Amino acid sequence: MTAAAHLPVTPPGPQTARPLVMEARGLVKRYGHVTAIGGADFELRPGEIMAVIGDNGAGKSSLIKALSGALIPDEGEILLDGQPVHFRTPSDARRAGIETVYQDLAVAPAMTIAENLFLGRELYRGGALGRALKLIDRRRMLTEATEHMKGLQFAIKSMSQPVETLSGGQRQGVAVARAAAFAQHVVIMDEPTAALGVREGNMVLDLIRKVRDRGLPVILISHNMPHVFEIADRIHVHRMGKRAALLNPQKISMADTVSVMTGAIRPEDLSADVLAH
Amino acid sequence: MTQPTTTPARRFQLPNLSTLGPLIALLIACLFFTFQSDRFLTLGTFSLILQQASFVGVIAIAQTLIVLTAGIDLSCGMIMALSSMVIGKLAVEQGVPVPLAILAGFAVGAFVGWANGLLITKWKLPPFIVTLGMYSIVFAAVKIYSKATSVPMPADGLTFLAQRFTIFGTPFTYGSLLMVALFVLTWIFLNYTAPGRHIYALGNNQEAVRLSGINTSRLLLSVYTFAGVLYGVAALLLLERIGGASPEAGTTENLESITAVVIGGTSLFGGRGNVLGTLVGVLIVGVFRSGLTFMGLDSVYQNLITGILIILAVATDQFSRRKA
Repeated sequence: MTAAAHLPVTPPGPQTARPLVMEARGLVKRYGHVTAIGGADFELRPGEIMAVIGDNGAGKSSLIKALSGALIPDEGEILLDGQPVHFRTPSDARRAGIETVYQDLAVAPAMTIAENLFLGRELYRGGALGRALKLIDRRRMLTEATEHMKGLQFAIKSMSQPVETLSGGQRQGVAVARAAAFAQHVVIMDEPTAALGVREGNMVLDLIRKVRDRGLPVILISHNMPHVFEIADRIHVHRMGKRAALLNPQKISMADTVSVMTGAIRPEDLSADVLAH
Repeated sequence: MTQPTTTPARRFQLPNLSTLGPLIALLIACLFFTFQSDRFLTLGTFSLILQQASFVGVIAIAQTLIVLTAGIDLSCGMIMALSSMVIGKLAVEQGVPVPLAILAGFAVGAFVGWANGLLITKWKLPPFIVTLGMYSIVFAAVKIYSKATSVPMPADGLTFLAQRFTIFGTPFTYGSLLMVALFVLTWIFLNYTAPGRHIYALGNNQEAVRLSGINTSRLLLSVYTFAGVLYGVAALLLLERIGGASPEAGTTENLESITAVVIGGTSLFGGRGNVLGTLVGVLIVGVFRSGLTFMGLDSVYQNLITGILIILAVATDQFSRRKA
């Protein structure tokens, strides 16, 4: 939890003046004759929510897998804070400060909220003995979990209650909070609201906004256009294995966005003011 | 996140029914047999129950660890039998120094456990099938290796676990002490160390554990390997208990240990349970065994009651999960 706490607090919204947090140039991934990524570019600025949308089969999950280390691209490069990185596994990406939240509620239901937040990154008791025996420090984990959740205004009274006592939205909230706690650079959210109802989905959107407001840029993959338009600062439209357009949700309509996504409108035919810069 | 949950914040939450249930059942059983026979409630009876339960108890510790990961081990008793045969043959027939023979027995147990784990993690086979196959393979190995003859222990060999110490004038065996100590150590491991918590998490949601950067294959492999070592420890207690290595041993301990695990409140679906509950489960079976003997009843009543307890325990688990 300490990493996020030391991040400089940046004002919300995209920061055009500062260098890109993450950038991908000309990514290519082929499986035999199938091209999953065909020269895709990607960029993410500090403090923004970048939505990634695309029709089924457009290759957006391949792009996200490349960014999160789950797939090794054949060509192209990925830059993190301007430095080239080469992720071979999701753990590599995690070590570089990129956390991913998955749609299927990746939590351990019978374990407490605090334990879920610290799963795989438990705090050990002090001293050589505590570290050697990997003795967990329950009290410190509980305190830090409570503090972290308070920072996100996540209203749950006890961090020592099992996650299964929570609603679906709150469970996803735990997963989001967990990613926010450990991500140093980027949080990737893969359809975080897909499994949730309307009210629950809004709860999670609120939380994502709070994560962004604390200075962490977010990559949001979603099929849900209202959700995308509600919180995205920019929209990356993925089509036929690459980026078709970068759109400004303040200017373009939802219908036109869907048309770009499905190919009914060619990006070249869009007026310049709906494009994001 | 504006809706606070209704569960009040409590520092100490009451243990739920699956934790308390087994203890209540044990107390009721003890009370019942005390009323039936005034000779029942003595430390001597308790000492005997512990001693009789010791090797199944140690196996049940390993079984609990495996069941918590949402696995199962049907080969446990057979691995113990093989390990006891190795120790017996080496120490008695080959004249290998006893500590070395014991180490060899542990190593054989660890190896077979590791093989189970490897098939489960690398080939992604279901634990039920892998360990059922391993049961048969090790059964054959024991018969071939021993030429179907038992190895009797000399009166002075390997008896240190049968030696006794006295509490309140009642002798207890060191073997019983070893079993109880292993239960307590495992409980501490499961509740207060990171790998222990990961075992619970593994049974809850293996994918979530993998995604959080924990090497789930390595964790599972170590659980099955460590279980093999515990079967080696059980082999020592078996050697002491039956006075030698028998080629007939090891056929029933898989179901007996699963019985203790289930009666003790651990879920067969993994991720929930308590190893001290398993100790209570082992004791419940032991109390019924000796209680019915004190009442002069046939041992089939023990099977009857054990069966009822298993079904009750699983029903409790199901209902509490459905509520959650």
